[in-house]
Amino acid sequence: MKKFLKGLLPLALAATMFAGCAGGSQGTAEGGETTGTETSGETIKIGTIYAMSGDKAAIGENILRGIDFAVEEINKQGGINGRMLEVVRGDHAGDAATGRSEAERLITQEHVDVMMGCHMSTVTEVVAQVCQQYGVPMITAISTLDKLSDEEHAAYDYFFRLCPLNSIYVEDMLKYLKDSSQQTGEEIKTVAIFTDKAAIGQELIRCVNLFADQYGLEVVGEVDYSGGAADLSAQVLALKQLNPDAILCDSYVNDAVLFVNTLKEQNYKPKMIVAKANGFTDPSFITQLGSAANGVASVVEFNSDLTNGAEINKEFKEVYGVDMNGHSAESYTVVWLFKAAIEKAGSTDGEAVKKALAELVIDGAFDGGRNIILPYSKIDFVDEYDLAGSKHYRDNTSASVAIAQIQDGAWKTVWPFEFSSSQIAFPAPLE
Amino acid sequence: MDVLLQAIVNGILLGGFYALMGMGQNIIFGVMKIVNFCHGEMLMVGMYLTYMLYTYAGIDPYLALPLVALIMFFLGAVIQHTLITPSLKTKSFTNLLFLTVGLGLLLSNGALVLFGSDYKSIRTSYSQTTIPIGPVSVALPRLISFCVLIVVTIALFTFLKYSTVGKQIRAVSQNPVGAEVCGINVKRIYLLTYGLGIALAGIAGCLLTQFYSIFPTAGAGFGFRALIVVVVGGLGSIPGAFFAGILLGLLEQMSALFISPSYSDMIVFITFIVILVVRQLIIMRRK
Repeated sequence: MKKFLKGLLPLALAATMFAGCAGGSQGTAEGGETTGTETSGETIKIGTIYAMSGDKAAIGENILRGIDFAVEEINKQGGINGRMLEVVRGDHAGDAATGRSEAERLITQEHVDVMMGCHMSTVTEVVAQVCQQYGVPMITAISTLDKLSDEEHAAYDYFFRLCPLNSIYVEDMLKYLKDSSQQTGEEIKTVAIFTDKAAIGQELIRCVNLFADQYGLEVVGEVDYSGGAADLSAQVLALKQLNPDAILCDSYVNDAVLFVNTLKEQNYKPKMIVAKANGFTDPSFITQLGSAANGVASVVEFNSDLTNGAEINKEFKEVYGVDMNGHSAESYTVVWLFKAAIEKAGSTDGEAVKKALAELVIDGAFDGGRNIILPYSKIDFVDEYDLAGSKHYRDNTSASVAIAQIQDGAWKTVWPFEFSSSQIAFPAPLE
Repeated sequence: MDVLLQAIVNGILLGGFYALMGMGQNIIFGVMKIVNFCHGEMLMVGMYLTYMLYTYAGIDPYLALPLVALIMFFLGAVIQHTLITPSLKTKSFTNLLFLTVGLGLLLSNGALVLFGSDYKSIRTSYSQTTIPIGPVSVALPRLISFCVLIVVTIALFTFLKYSTVGKQIRAVSQNPVGAEVCGINVKRIYLLTYGLGIALAGIAGCLLTQFYSIFPTAGAGFGFRALIVVVVGGLGSIPGAFFAGILLGLLEQMSALFISPSYSDMIVFITFIVILVVRQLIIMRRK
């Protein structure tokens, strides 16, 4: 089967290339017509490239729910300049090569006007290349890998990023530690890092060391383990000896559960545990640990009790039966961004929409829409800026994450203070 | 000092669990001279069995222990009868190696299909209980598992030493042909032995549910340590497995405490290799 598919791939590529040439000329023809009379009935096509099959399909489903929800809202209001929105879905199935061919299909055959994607940064990168090549504006709602907007990608001026970067996630964890003293009255001065030996752990360690000085935090130690550990008591004892004010961690779910259980067994209660999502925000984390999970905090992109997100979450839940998550909230926002940009540009011409996106500033609320539902109040794609010593391009520098803490078995937003309605539980009860 | 004491206690309790894992592997290896590469997966099957008995029948994990052991014994006996006995005839080690490895893959993928990849656990009122003894804190489930280990060790030791079946098992382990000549049903002894080994893995799995998550690859890390226990403790020796397990647990904890937790796995495996090489040298010198 694989061999057969491999044989088919060049064929498919050739076909899309052909279609690409044909589509290109058609595109200009349509562009010519746009100035004519019959445009108002035509839909505006948003291309999406997410995993709809394979083991990442569940993630893709949440993203597409957010997009559909926004499209419905906008169409109910009469669309954009009288034109309805239409979502054209591509499926990258978790694979970069598939992502590329899907991007080409959407652009050359479906003639999408703008593009959204993807949730795996490696796929996002190749799709951004294709969009750049064809001049289709693209916003990623959720790809957090720092390097997508670095010096190497400086020339990708059709590519914009809404979500915070990986290193911003970690910077916000440190900001939270610093700010927490306003509520707890106790300053956090020392931190220890507890994490997997694998790449996720190394990334956490790199980012913490990048920002620790800036926030006046001393990293007293790094304790790591091999993923899928049989036992973590040695690691917990090592942390107990280091006795930091706070522990920062990133683990897959089985290790995260074993970690908290072992804390309990070894009778060690760190005052503060802040996780970089991952296993700690897995739904089974709370069900497996029960009350022992109370007090664990984590980075979240969105939480149902965010002061500016509670309302939409209620409506969303009525439609889909599940809470909005970070992915659905961020992709919802991107659709509204495209609306604002297309209105500003006055057309769906790629060049004009790109220019409008670069100049767009959303302050507080969308025109005709809601307040920004994420834990920040401004969206502005900054053309060029400096992040911890390296240049980045066209990121939304106002983006930030929120910190939520498990209280009475549910995630409660505790930071940023202006978006939260719960107080930090300190020290973490863990019972 | 407190930390050292705590690390020693942790090492002994953890090692006790490794010993229990190694015990089953050891019996199988000692009698049948085959390495049971699916021992870790059998542990996982024991965990899911306990989970099902708890969720669907409401049986407390510790009360389910004899039942799990019994079911696992029959599972082991069936596998021995249908798969391993025919393979033993071929006298091919690679055949058995692939058979048990393949069986392990089958079991973990079967669990993936049946139960999904999400992590389950059994939370009882006592699973997070700890007992403070001076400066040291001891988790109740780990203490219970250590007590079970002691009971199992003594029971196995007396069973093999004094009972008729135990004597037959030892006879077969020393010389299967001789034993057969004396009228011992070797096939039946193999059936018993493999069943017993798997039952021990099931007991370990049942106990493990109280301090570890249940998922299809849960047994992998433990299966490997069971092998180390067998090799270090000496083939077929019950007290050997007991002490080797505890030694392994202590070694992990001490190397983490005095060197770094990052290197404790590495140090364990280096020690394992050193022991293998030294033993080989001693055997060669004797010859």
